[in-house]
Amino acid sequence: MKISGIRKRLDSREIGAVELTKEYLDRIDRYDGKINSYITVCRDEAVAMAERAQKLIDSGNASALTGIPLSVKDNICTNGIKTTCASRMLKDFVPVYDAYAVEKLKNEGFVMLGKTNMDEFAMGGSSQTSYFGGVKNPYNTECVPGGSSGGAAASVAAGMCAAALGSDTGGSVRQPSAFCGVTGLKPTYGAVSRWGLIAFASSFDQIGVCALSAEDAGYVFDAICGRDENDATSSARAKGGSTELIGKDISNITVGIPREFIEDASDEVKEAVQKAAEFYRQTGCNVKECSLPSLEYAVSAYYLISSAEAASNLSRFDGIKYGHRSGLGEDYNALIKSSRSEGFGTEVKRRIMLGNYALCSGYYDAYYNKARRIRAQIRNEYRAIFDSCDVILTPTAPTPAYRIGAQEDDPVKMYLADVCTVTANIAGLPSVSTVCGYSGGLPVGMSITGRPFDEKTILAVCDRFERDFERKECCL
Amino acid sequence: MFDEKLTAHLAELSKLEFNNEELEKMTEDMTAIVGLMDKVRGFETDEKPYTVEPVSYGELREDNYKASYPTDNILKNAANIKNDSFVVPKVV
Repeated sequence: MKISGIRKRLDSREIGAVELTKEYLDRIDRYDGKINSYITVCRDEAVAMAERAQKLIDSGNASALTGIPLSVKDNICTNGIKTTCASRMLKDFVPVYDAYAVEKLKNEGFVMLGKTNMDEFAMGGSSQTSYFGGVKNPYNTECVPGGSSGGAAASVAAGMCAAALGSDTGGSVRQPSAFCGVTGLKPTYGAVSRWGLIAFASSFDQIGVCALSAEDAGYVFDAICGRDENDATSSARAKGGSTELIGKDISNITVGIPREFIEDASDEVKEAVQKAAEFYRQTGCNVKECSLPSLEYAVSAYYLISSAEAASNLSRFDGIKYGHRSGLGEDYNALIKSSRSEGFGTEVKRRIMLGNYALCSGYYDAYYNKARRIRAQIRNEYRAIFDSCDVILTPTAPTPAYRIGAQEDDPVKMYLADVCTVTANIAGLPSVSTVCGYSGGLPVGMSITGRPFDEKTILAVCDRFERDFERKECCL
Repeated sequence: MFDEKLTAHLAELSKLEFNNEELEKMTEDMTAIVGLMDKVRGFETDEKPYTVEPVSYGELREDNYKASYPTDNILKNAANIKNDSFVVPKVV
């Protein structure tokens, strides 16, 4: 059920916050064994939070998310509750503080049901690299749910939470949302504080939301956005109000469709996105073709920069202060090496190796600096598009969800599949994915991307489509 | 060209270790990945390298004293502690 529906039930006393929370916990108990979307379920804490929420409701002090049961991706720090990043490295790590986003949700009186499964350290697009076992797609358990926020998207699709916090570095909220048939919002870079989000690639990372609708994603975004003194890259420009255009006329909107995104998409994705474009035309929007010529360089540039940042960020994991400590290693250097080698999985090691390669003297200008030039170029190309378009419409992924095992062992194939999502991170733009069709029973996603800090326009455009589109429930 | 010598060098920089079989597989993976990354070498542009928009120093927080997190809680995440300190192998 959507957040607005739950809000009504809670405020009218049709259901109590504790009873509601227990319903979600029961559903997790009953069905999560089939899809493995949670790493940690916080039963006692959730009920205690629900009791506090009920007091707020009873005293007439409820806000939009009071008593709403949400899940939190397991790379977002939660005080006193394990935060593993789905890695052996952090399998027993218990943070001593809350991420800013979690703190803001606690101020609203939300209920945290648990911590969701993901690709290890958010590096992947399948949610199969988790130390705690892979996540399965609730629409077809033989298929991947996408990633890295696969547990977040799957938990929403399967009705195991009302909405979920995820993180998006190169598409990690939007692509799993597309694969699992839900709505996924990646906010503008800087709109949500990264304080307490375990760092992967700091110039791309952004906490986002998986939800059952654009409106629901907006409610959660409004609660977590804003300036935080602990994150110098967070911005006071993000003030909330992202749902204020929802339900309003969008016929004055110009929708750009960059031709390069459509060219390499599969036939079923192409068809679904073209139908969505036709819907916007019928709605009265001005739909026009546009171009992002540097798209062909985007995946390589993204992986070079993000891996370089990951190599630096993950150098903190040495087995000394926190994280896995090896029983091997007689000297300091050997201890660090064996702790890291035992603690990290294969994909994380690949990214660290690639990052250090790009930063090596002799390769730095040819790879890392060149990638940063491409980043500047892509940002300029987006600026040019937004001179004449309000939003752009693209596929979220070139294909629907694929079968587990089909491509996870081929890193190049996996990286290339990110082509539709990485440019929003490269340019720091807000982007929302929603389901726009089905193929073989699996959802197909499209993305609406907008100008920096213009979440309200992309959510309104997305919502307009969702109102006329019949979303199919998954069946577990 | 990526070879096992370069992989071993990067492993050293990355503080990672691989056995022979892992080294061979990592070299194979890195050859394919760097092949994809080579795409950027063909890109010609006059753009300067992008850096994240500089932080506005007016927005930095006041440099006020506040209590740190409790030492006991922080040390709970370390595998080996003694006298409120992290234990490491002897260095000198």
